[in-house]
Amino acid sequence: MSLTRSLAIAGFLAAIVAFAVVEVLARRKGSTIPTLGDVCAHVMAYEVGRIPVGRIGFFGFWWWLGWHLFAR
Amino acid sequence: MEQSQTEIVADAPRGAVGTLPVLAFLSLVGGQLPSFTTRANLYTICLGGSMLWLGLAGRARRPLPARLGAGTAWWLVPVAIFGVFEGSTFLLGSMAEYPTFSKLADPLLEDELLRSVGYFAWLGGFWALVRR
Repeated sequence: MSLTRSLAIAGFLAAIVAFAVVEVLARRKGSTIPTLGDVCAHVMAYEVGRIPVGRIGFFGFWWWLGWHLFAR
Repeated sequence: MEQSQTEIVADAPRGAVGTLPVLAFLSLVGGQLPSFTTRANLYTICLGGSMLWLGLAGRARRPLPARLGAGTAWWLVPVAIFGVFEGSTFLLGSMAEYPTFSKLADPLLEDELLRSVGYFAWLGGFWALVRR
């Protein structure tokens, strides 16, 4: 395995571990860090007029992600 | 007082008990469909479309949590790490020597069981977003 491939794998693993660590820290009692779900909920609540732009954006991204990983 | 059309659902665990077997069944079916097939395309498009419709209909949302504080910035750390590697691998052409995340995941997702697990994570995440 090449050094650059190992670097990419290590980088993505580091990101996944970082996501998990921040989520664990957020779930500690008295933490000032919101959980990932809370952050998503706030972004999804964003609206322009009566259009739920945040919800459409999140659902659209997640839909594309599933299609990209499992169908394309 | 104006009445909201959105039903606020706070008892998430009760809802999850009925939903998990459905998501598991859908994941097992999805795990049998290989990539680059019409069936796989139709399946993900129909599932995603259904979730999108449920999410925008907004019948089962949890109440919005308290205002976000300064601690929110900590989420930029994992996002930035992922963004740097995904961005650089994509811009350099996603070669085998320096692949994007999805290119790394492709060989793993060829296994039917891991593919079903991946489907379950995707659908579970989608359902969690729908209920937010």
